[in-house]
Amino acid sequence: MSDPVLVAQNIGMSFGGFVALKNVSVSFARGKLTAVIGPNGAGKSTFFNVISGALTPTAGQISFDGRDITGTPPHLFARMGIAKSFQITNVFPELTARENVRVAAQALSERFQLFRNRDSYGALIDKADALLTLVGLGARRFNRARELAHGEQRSLEIAMALAADPKLLLLDEPTAGMSPEETREMMNLIARLAEQRTIVLVEHKMKLVMGLAEHLVVLHHGELLAQGSSDDIRNNDEVKRVYLGQGAVAVGGRA
Amino acid sequence: MSGIGLELLALQLVTGVALGAIYVLLALGLSLIFGLLNVVNFAHGAFFMVGAYVGVFLFGLTGNFWVSLVLTPLGVGAIGLAVERVLLRPLYGRGIDYPLLLTFGLSYVFIETIRILFGLTGMRFPTPPELRGAVNIGIGFFPLYRLFLIGITAVIVFALWYFIERTRYGLIIRAGARDPEIVRVLGIDVSKIWLLVFGIGTGIAGLSGVLAAPLQGITPEMGVPVLAEAFVVTVVGGMGSLAGAVIAGLLVGIVVSMTSLFAPEMAKVSIFILMALVLLVRPRGLLGRAGALG
Amino acid sequence: MTSIDLTAPRDQPHWLDVASRYRVALTLAFLVIFPWITPYEALAVNILVLGLYALGFNLVFGYTGLLSFGHAAFLGTGAYGCGIAIVSYKIGWFGAILIGTASATLLGVVMGFLAIRTRGIYFAMVTLALSMCVYYAFYQMQSLTGGENGLRGVNLQTISVLGVSLPFINPTVKYYVILAFVAVAIWLFSRILASPFGAVLEAIRENEERARACGYDVARTKLVAFIISGAFCGLAGALNAIHLSIVPIETLHYTTSGQVVMMSLLGGMGTFFGPFVGAAAFLLIEDVLAMLTSHWQLFVGIIFIVFVLFFPRGIWGSLLQWAERK
Repeated sequence: MSDPVLVAQNIGMSFGGFVALKNVSVSFARGKLTAVIGPNGAGKSTFFNVISGALTPTAGQISFDGRDITGTPPHLFARMGIAKSFQITNVFPELTARENVRVAAQALSERFQLFRNRDSYGALIDKADALLTLVGLGARRFNRARELAHGEQRSLEIAMALAADPKLLLLDEPTAGMSPEETREMMNLIARLAEQRTIVLVEHKMKLVMGLAEHLVVLHHGELLAQGSSDDIRNNDEVKRVYLGQGAVAVGGRA
Repeated sequence: MSGIGLELLALQLVTGVALGAIYVLLALGLSLIFGLLNVVNFAHGAFFMVGAYVGVFLFGLTGNFWVSLVLTPLGVGAIGLAVERVLLRPLYGRGIDYPLLLTFGLSYVFIETIRILFGLTGMRFPTPPELRGAVNIGIGFFPLYRLFLIGITAVIVFALWYFIERTRYGLIIRAGARDPEIVRVLGIDVSKIWLLVFGIGTGIAGLSGVLAAPLQGITPEMGVPVLAEAFVVTVVGGMGSLAGAVIAGLLVGIVVSMTSLFAPEMAKVSIFILMALVLLVRPRGLLGRAGALG
Repeated sequence: MTSIDLTAPRDQPHWLDVASRYRVALTLAFLVIFPWITPYEALAVNILVLGLYALGFNLVFGYTGLLSFGHAAFLGTGAYGCGIAIVSYKIGWFGAILIGTASATLLGVVMGFLAIRTRGIYFAMVTLALSMCVYYAFYQMQSLTGGENGLRGVNLQTISVLGVSLPFINPTVKYYVILAFVAVAIWLFSRILASPFGAVLEAIRENEERARACGYDVARTKLVAFIISGAFCGLAGALNAIHLSIVPIETLHYTTSGQVVMMSLLGGMGTFFGPFVGAAAFLLIEDVLAMLTSHWQLFVGIIFIVFVLFFPRGIWGSLLQWAERK
């Protein structure tokens, strides 16, 4: 892999006696959409939390742009250029959609501004509106986040993640709990975003990411099972065995 | 300070343990309720005070200290059950601050109700005759009642430990503290456990009130400073940790007793300084984990 | 006058949003005529000072979502700082107020540093305990603070403002002098809320984890909010000292922290004008009930419980919600 933006080396993660990740090494290529897949309990969420900074791995190293960032506090991950959307909806419910994105964009400016009016930062508001339009929420910008539908809240979250101008966008099961219609729209959005950005997508439903992702990483029982292109993975015997063991449900979608 | 001999020091240490016994009981109830219900009971000091008054009332009624000692925690625990069922339950799921605010308001109601029933001035609660006097404990004479305090606290701590670690109910309580969802999935009514735990916690607060009464006399306001001290113990021990409550309770008792010997003017402040130090070194307290019993 | 200025779900601005834009002017206009509608002027001063106390408290409780039970320490330290400067060091009234405010701010740094790392409701216990430490410390420093009798003799007969001597014992003069300070505080407070920093506070209240993921240092932001809040409450304490001319030791007791919690909830937490409504409601309830019964605290407790259970938005917050629906 020529120019990795994020490299996870020999990552291990254990909680007490429970080993969630064992010796996982993955490089994420710049400018590509990588999907991390695996059946339930594969360690996908733990892996997501490790590469997004929410958890510090018990073994191994994470480097970003060639710099070792293992153990960096979570809020600095965002400042370095790693933005994430959560598996469960995670917005500021009582704030308007615009304010949600505006606050996220504001985090880029370092200093505490105690006495300037937030409305005087026209650039931030313009940026928020542009991002909301990008994710299809332009008309909903004055609504409070809690008034939005589930799918809309997920889109809002992605707009918030983009507000930080991330070099790397991490998405944790962005279609979880969505209707088929919402899922289709979300995948279209992700495909559009992937044209210009580096994205890592953690997904349970293999079918969704086949064809969309340029690179796939398969985790199983906390270990790296396989990685490669969609065709590589589709033809990989071990992957077939693992997913077949779970039946068609795991391949087709969540039961 | 040359006049202070080793024996006096040792006696002061035992005094500290006896004082700590009350703190242990208070912090156990507080920690139990917090660990399971995620509720900081701001009425804990008021339950303590109500315990002292119920105790003196039952003592007066029956003339028997032991009957009062057994019935008081049951009576106060029953009040606790009613409070949980009627007032706290509607607040679950509405944010963690609301139960706290409610119990704070409740403490006003308790204090004023006791003032109406028993008057503004305090009362004395005589030490029961069979527990008066002092006994030689090897290092000197020590008040029998304080020994009794240490003993009964040890019994309560053991009983609670046995209940939580060795019984079926205890297993459910421990599981519930880790993850209420698991218990619900198992088909157990979590709200019954919460009710029970709040009753036990407040019952123990009531018991500590009746036990503390002969040492200090009783007033409607006696629970007010006690609440702050119980918080210190819980913070030092670690929220939700029962072992932490025991260790921190004894530690705080000893610190208070020692500072009142060497620097009496510092006695009140000392425990808060202890807490500040613990917070600096271990923000979660000595044995604190993230909100689970342990 | 509202906190909903950022959350208008409509294309046409609601009249409340317009009102909100002029919240400082509207609040001040109300406070200027306020003494004429209260039964007696001392009550108006009490409401003004305790309203400022609740306003400062509201920054952490209403806007950041941190429940502190230690704010009595700021009110008390502000009061003692100002009082001691006047009584023991013969410092002028204006300098004394600054000293009181500065002492409380400094205390905010220390208490905040110790308490801010604790999470959730744990924070309430730790702040309560730390404030009791301050209580006992002042209690013991008798020569300076008067110990359990409180600090007496903070008497200001006349004060000199830009060379003009004003009779401070005149209740009307006293009200407007104190209002001048409160007005500046209200204006500053509004600026802070409207600033990007204020936006971060609201974000933290709404969803701490998300704010962290956005790249905000949540602990540091909370600490700054706590310190600023302490400064406002310290100013309230200093003003209370020259208003009452004594500083009772109870000012520092955690029951005084409880009072500001009650006022905030009665008025409406997270609303701009709520703290003054809460202070007024609390003091009026106390005044009226105390005339009727010596056991008024029973009813204060019951009223508070009723608000927690049924009106968690408080008086002003419920009114706003009702007006918003219209």
